[in-house]
Amino acid sequence: MKFLLRIFVIILPIVLISFFYLYINDDDYYPGADYRNYDLPQFELTELYSKADISNEDLEGAYLINVWASWCITCRVEHGFLAKLSNQNIPITGINYKDEREDAIKWINKFGDPYKLIIHDYKGTFALDMGVTGAPETFLINNGEVLVHYRGEVNNMIWQDVFMPVITKYELFK
Amino acid sequence: MLIEIAQFLTILSTGLFFLNFLFAFFFDSSDSYMASLVSKVYTHSSLLLATSFSIYVWLAISDNFSVLYIAQHSNSNLPTFYKITSIWSAHEGSMFLWILFLVLWGALFNFVTQNSQDLKVKSMGVISIIIVGFLLFLLLTSNPFETILPIAPINGADINPVLQDPALAIHPPFLYMGYIGFVIAFAHAIAFMVEGNSSIKWESLVRTWSIAAWVFLTIGITLGSWWAYYELGWGGYWFWDPVENVALMPWLAATAFIHSLSVSSKSSSLRIWTILLSIIVFSLSLFGAFIVRSGIIDSVHSFANDPERGLYLLTFIGILIIGSMTLFSSRFSMLSSGSVIKTFSKESFISINNIFFGVLVFSTMLGILYPLIYESIYEQKISVGAPFYNAIFVPMAVIACVFLFFSIGAKWQRKLVISSFANSISLSALVSCFLVFLVYRFLGIHGVWELISIFAGSIIIVRYLFVIWDYLSKKKYSNPFSIIAHIGLGVLMISIALNNELSTERALNIKINQSDTYQGYQIELTDLKLVKQSNHDSIQAVFLITDPIGNNFYLKPEKRKYFARGQITTETDIHVTLLKDIYITIGDQLEDGSWIVNIQFNYFIRWIWFSAIMMGFAGVMLIVSINRARR
Repeated sequence: MKFLLRIFVIILPIVLISFFYLYINDDDYYPGADYRNYDLPQFELTELYSKADISNEDLEGAYLINVWASWCITCRVEHGFLAKLSNQNIPITGINYKDEREDAIKWINKFGDPYKLIIHDYKGTFALDMGVTGAPETFLINNGEVLVHYRGEVNNMIWQDVFMPVITKYELFK
Repeated sequence: MLIEIAQFLTILSTGLFFLNFLFAFFFDSSDSYMASLVSKVYTHSSLLLATSFSIYVWLAISDNFSVLYIAQHSNSNLPTFYKITSIWSAHEGSMFLWILFLVLWGALFNFVTQNSQDLKVKSMGVISIIIVGFLLFLLLTSNPFETILPIAPINGADINPVLQDPALAIHPPFLYMGYIGFVIAFAHAIAFMVEGNSSIKWESLVRTWSIAAWVFLTIGITLGSWWAYYELGWGGYWFWDPVENVALMPWLAATAFIHSLSVSSKSSSLRIWTILLSIIVFSLSLFGAFIVRSGIIDSVHSFANDPERGLYLLTFIGILIIGSMTLFSSRFSMLSSGSVIKTFSKESFISINNIFFGVLVFSTMLGILYPLIYESIYEQKISVGAPFYNAIFVPMAVIACVFLFFSIGAKWQRKLVISSFANSISLSALVSCFLVFLVYRFLGIHGVWELISIFAGSIIIVRYLFVIWDYLSKKKYSNPFSIIAHIGLGVLMISIALNNELSTERALNIKINQSDTYQGYQIELTDLKLVKQSNHDSIQAVFLITDPIGNNFYLKPEKRKYFARGQITTETDIHVTLLKDIYITIGDQLEDGSWIVNIQFNYFIRWIWFSAIMMGFAGVMLIVSINRARR
């Protein structure tokens, strides 16, 4: 009995800690990343500058969706990296999230525009359907299917760790 | 410049704490010169860290947005109070606060004890190395001093509006003080096992510290529950949110621990349990930090994600936990006492309830782990919710209450003669049966488990009333702390059961100047106001509520839009009475112009928090009385 207890108090924490170790080192696991695939939700919103109507038909092929807002400081930190991606000819669609139109345009004029297209989601309804909890969040989409959803700032490390494996697998952006 | 100084001070103190660990463990700790050196080095390194934290507070107050963290979580329009509390509104700053508290517990212990006190030097060494571990975590993976250069933003992103609230501002500090306060007991347990001198009474050295940490944890959990109730608009007191669970586990283990401590500080029996529990309590606190900060579980409390953090924390706490358990296992024979626990003695009842607490901790752990295990096998996300926990907690709590009931009047190391309490035992049971009947007949409560819980709570309360009566009439000694804390438990059982059965809610659609009735209450929407504040606009709805007797009162729930983040929050308004809360929130406006109004009647919810406060109060009184006895 005593011997069992002696062994048990060591084995139990080792098992627990190994489980967590394997869990967070799993290839499929990355904090903030979600690899479940689903169809891009339907939406009908307007473009930020032109106020022209936009819906799912205006988006095609492989592209990124980046949720941002002028009130979001982390988006500013992330902005430089998005510009780099845009220079590598990776199309990025912006969702301007819960933001005033004028503030958003001012922000873009000041820091530059890495986006091919910006959807103005003032009420955050489209973002809600996408499962957005805040800004910034970034999605990888191929032919109307969401492949990756990442919550938080995308930088070089996240790009290499979270997005590149999927991009290579599906041979996107060739 | 200030930023660099603060960062430098933190790095310097990390080095000093490490040096202190070396002094404490690799030199002769019985040497009085070394003992005073360890004490002095600790004091100086803690002063460095406290200075660094004070500078950080100043940076936040003075809106220094070149600090990335402050720019992300504060705003120049915030009142000063929230500029300070914004420091612990996210990961980096709250980790800094956590470390500050860890250092302060050690500093307080260092300050009030003699250098010659048993185990002091080695305990300070253990505390120092834990501080070093957390400081390296802070500096390497979550540096709060990171800057945005060359140009700082003009204004910050603002603290999340749901965090702009007094109860939130103080609940994390209380919880952190609680979690990390068990470091004193843990450090002593390790020092005790390393020294290997079983004649040292380590339990009495840590008793006050452990009870103090337990009080902080109790109050912290209560404040958190209260905040979630009125600010998050959850409308209840407990949601089995993963982060609530990781606070509950150390609380359950700590409750078992302080009970065991009271046994082993009198005799050496249960010592092996007490040591084991002290390690478990601290391990669970660290495990909670890992769960919350690694981002592996989704919760309202989730912090920003970085895989490095989870890995670092897991390695660090893995070394601490497995290391201390191995030490425990190797010192098994030193810790086992020869004395046998007598059946029906006070010790025996406490041991039995330790087992119950152990089962509850284990089940909670299972509830947290199960979705993760399920996900890695079936690749689907599931969540474990209230039904699982209720199915385990309710019967366990009831049985534990019954054991507690029979243990009242038990003596240390002597067999309890139940027949000598036969009168009060049978009378308590009778009174409780009658009470349950009244509740069943007149309040219409028919849930079996609710009735059983009310019975369990009531036998404890009534039985303690007999104890108090004996004290008043025959001057028979009784332990007032135990009475207050356990009556608190009885009140908790009863109020949870009543809350569960009686509380109701309903969503109504009301247009302006129209009214609706619910449960005999008339609810009239009399006005809608637009209110402008410094950092948000809000729509305030004014409801005139008329209760069945004809009394009137106003409730003014709001919907707010905060400028800086564009976030929309709903503010509840609550009318508090002795027995129930009338809780009202407004939702969206419908197309026909009416508003969705959610109204809840929450019965006995204040009594739930009140019972927790009773337990905390008993703890405070106990600390005071122990310290008085010492002088």
